[in-house]
Amino acid sequence: MDTFAQDPTAIATRAELRERLAQLERGGGSGAGGGGGHLGHRGNAGTDGGAYALPSGYAALDDSLAGGGWPLGALIELLCDTSGIGELQLLRPALVRLARAGRCIVWVAAPYLPYAPALARQGLPLERLLMIRCTRPQESLWATEQALRCPAVGAVLGWSTHIVDRSLRRLQLAAEAGGSLGILHRPAVAADQPSPAALRLRLHAAPDGLMLEIRKARGGRAGARLHLTSAHLGVHPGGRTTPAADPDAVVVHPSAGAAA
Amino acid sequence: MLWLCIRLPALLRDTQAASERAALERLAAWAYQWSSHVSYRLSSAAEAAAAAAAAAPAAAAPLTGASTPPLLWLELGASRALFGEPAILLERIERELAQLGYSHSCAIAPSPTAAALLTHAEQPDGDAAGRCALTCDELRSRLTPLPLTWLELPAETLQALRSAGLTRIGEVLALPRAALARRFGPQSGHYLARLTAQASDPRPAFRLPESYRAHCEFDHELQQSSALLFPLQRLLQEFQGYLRARDCSVQHFALELGHHPRAAPLTAAALTAAAPPKTAAPLTAAAPVTHVAFGLSAPAREAERFLLLVRERLQSLALAAPVRSLTLTADAFTAPSIVQGDLFGGGAQRLGELSQLLDRLRARLGTQAVQGFHCRADHRPEHAFALVPPEQTRPEREQRAAHTPRGGTTRAVAAACAASSALSPAARPAALLPQPRRIEAPRALLAGPERIESGWWDGAGVVRDYYVARAADGARLWMFHDLADDAWYLQGLWV
Repeated sequence: MDTFAQDPTAIATRAELRERLAQLERGGGSGAGGGGGHLGHRGNAGTDGGAYALPSGYAALDDSLAGGGWPLGALIELLCDTSGIGELQLLRPALVRLARAGRCIVWVAAPYLPYAPALARQGLPLERLLMIRCTRPQESLWATEQALRCPAVGAVLGWSTHIVDRSLRRLQLAAEAGGSLGILHRPAVAADQPSPAALRLRLHAAPDGLMLEIRKARGGRAGARLHLTSAHLGVHPGGRTTPAADPDAVVVHPSAGAAA
Repeated sequence: MLWLCIRLPALLRDTQAASERAALERLAAWAYQWSSHVSYRLSSAAEAAAAAAAAAPAAAAPLTGASTPPLLWLELGASRALFGEPAILLERIERELAQLGYSHSCAIAPSPTAAALLTHAEQPDGDAAGRCALTCDELRSRLTPLPLTWLELPAETLQALRSAGLTRIGEVLALPRAALARRFGPQSGHYLARLTAQASDPRPAFRLPESYRAHCEFDHELQQSSALLFPLQRLLQEFQGYLRARDCSVQHFALELGHHPRAAPLTAAALTAAAPPKTAAPLTAAAPVTHVAFGLSAPAREAERFLLLVRERLQSLALAAPVRSLTLTADAFTAPSIVQGDLFGGGAQRLGELSQLLDRLRARLGTQAVQGFHCRADHRPEHAFALVPPEQTRPEREQRAAHTPRGGTTRAVAAACAASSALSPAARPAALLPQPRRIEAPRALLAGPERIESGWWDGAGVVRDYYVARAADGARLWMFHDLADDAWYLQGLWV
């Protein structure tokens, strides 16, 4: 049940977001994502309650997601044990769109220091980026929730090694209220536990890029596996950065055991 | 002129203020939002005490021996156009007084003297219109049935009138005024003329203080910071009234939590006693105080917003000692029309939402916990950016448009940002370790080296060869070989 759809203020926020994104696109925006012709897609009626989605910038991934992109106003789990495999690059096109539409990107208690010169080079306007430091897990949960609820925030990146179901629900509700992307990094073992998140992606390092496995996608194709190469992710280990990923080149390997 | 009078029979108990005057001035500042002419009168007891302290006879000694409670007047005639029907405003003021926790009774009349007298007759549950006498005729008919003893006349005058068989105010008003004045003195005549709004009845106008200070003292010690929330709620509501009255907003305010002198660090007191000649602090030092300063990212005047911040802060505040008193102070105010810079650009609404979020986060996590990013022109990766308060990360064009005095530096910084990306044509990872971490020399490298040799001028010079490598778990690492100590360090991750 999508409570978001019943909340008129939330809809206003989303409509506003979509309009601003569309304006940007018309105004010859940089095309940082390079997805479809319009930014906020309305999802397929009946599959996701009409929630809006934000193109991920990777066509193959969008095809597997309800509404054709990251679900706005929802919690998204990235399940992996390794940092440094391109997990932020996966989000980059969406974050750039949100930030250029005037919404803030917030890192809450990140295990690393977001490196401003690199982020600026990748097209993120620095004045929209915020970093919140917390000393205790309870504080970071609280800060994540506060940031998610704020309509001026477009995406919140959080990390959690241990989180109870009730807290996850709170975060999901907060993301619904704020119409933002709630990105939660969790350890791979959490994949076996149920979660209220709208989308759960298991990430693996691949020899050349990043391997995605969709563990849960509200209204989308769970079980799909995607391989995003370094080239698509805009990262060259050789030290060169491609400004925008080429979305059509993403290789899709639908898992044989998708039904299971 | 139309006067609203508020009778405050339990003012000191309600406000927990140190003195009746302080309490009245607090409430007067709050009331100023509805009227530009606010006046107050101390209770007869407090007035007598003040007169005794000044060792001078009170200039306007009360006519009657009966004790009167503290009174507050608001002139409504001038603000009638602004606030509409007096009866509706009366209801609103009564509602807010009740919310603030004041015992009160209110009435409206064409003269302050009459309004004060009518507050006797007020029935709490009666309708507001019944407490309003808007014209002189209405006033007269309202006064007529009231008991004679409510008149603020000397006790012997009242006695004489009573022995003449009069019991109601109407009967006194029916008497020829000149005869009354001859019989009981001109004072009585003047009083009755003021009462019926036939003579001018000037009241000293309360002036809003330039800086705000509200203080309350508790009968008992508050052990829990959460117990402070209730009195704080009222203080902040009144503060909001003051801000509305001055039509301004505030960005900084402070709370002082006063502790009992007894709770002063005993060691210090003991030392003082042991070595009196050496001590700088006298034994009678003021009670210890915990000072808590609040800063907002943008000026505001809503009590609710202040309360939210205060609540967050108090939650994380461990009280060193029980609290006996509470003081709210603010001395710098901003006119609301002045926009304090377009933080983050975008619409005003978004700006407001964001600054509220920042305030909340800072109140709970500390000012340093929320940061934005800034680029600097420096080849050394760890010096190529700075963490700054989010308000200072506005993009260059907005800063130029703002023509701030900082314009020169901000432009320089923007140039630095451009320069730093020009300086580093090579890719940089989006994540840095807080400190480079020493590692074993890698066996295989994916890319590199990239020589960075810089910073000799500030004593933190580096000569490093940077490489990209892949960890066993697949992570792409950014590392360097430090030519100074021939060691390898991990500095970043390609997240």
